[in-house]
Amino acid sequence: MSDFRTSQNEAHPNKTNSLMTGIIVLLILFVSIQIWFLFGALNNALQDNLYFALTTFIGSLLLAAASFWILRYLPDPLKNKK
Amino acid sequence: MAHKDPYDGGENTPSWKSDFPFQAKKATHVGRREFAKFLALFSGALALTNGAIVIKSLTFPTKPLEGEHFICNESDVAVGSMLQFDIQGSKVIPYILIHLKANEWRAFEQKCTHLTCAVRFREDLQKIECPCHHGFFSPDTGEVLQGPPPRPLPQLEVVIKDGKVFVKENEQKNKV
Repeated sequence: MSDFRTSQNEAHPNKTNSLMTGIIVLLILFVSIQIWFLFGALNNALQDNLYFALTTFIGSLLLAAASFWILRYLPDPLKNKK
Repeated sequence: MAHKDPYDGGENTPSWKSDFPFQAKKATHVGRREFAKFLALFSGALALTNGAIVIKSLTFPTKPLEGEHFICNESDVAVGSMLQFDIQGSKVIPYILIHLKANEWRAFEQKCTHLTCAVRFREDLQKIECPCHHGFFSPDTGEVLQGPPPRPLPQLEVVIKDGKVFVKENEQKNKV
């Protein structure tokens, strides 16, 4: 029996691939920005700058939350047809 | 009844079984789902590390310099020259003492506020120079005159007593 999901998958066979690639690219982008923030906060010249450390922490936390939230949209693993 | 593979990949297999497969071969395989989850975990770890920096900054704030510190005799530094000295505290911080004019002394932290290169006083230019990226500071106030440094050099107050040079925390200038 065919349902909505099956027909969608048949109409767009590359959908899982595109979603997966998009999510991974976004995650790599988030992690890169976080590494940039961390590098700034660890910078010797800024070690006494509490406001910079606090701002980068909040930014990093938001990006981490976004990273976990985006996992909701990970496609389910492909199942072999019987 | 024939033995059925618990990980048959059929339509009825719940998705959690794909994440925790029974077969070693499938367990060691890192798929894109696992990679994405690893990236999210890494992202969380980075946020926590950034939080640790904030906690460290709040728990161990930099203490101001306490008391007066003897550096040298007045006659040791000629007019127009500088002397490099360290002050032992919770950490060793290098400073420079500049004899600008007769009875005019300045003391600044030697670490450039850009990338912590050692700055030096150039008598010919009457400026403090950071040789790494050509940043220039005013030898009078420590303010940035030119180049990439974002903030002025932290300054100490110089006190002369009986021909001896002492430095102490500059309470007005270093307040943020």
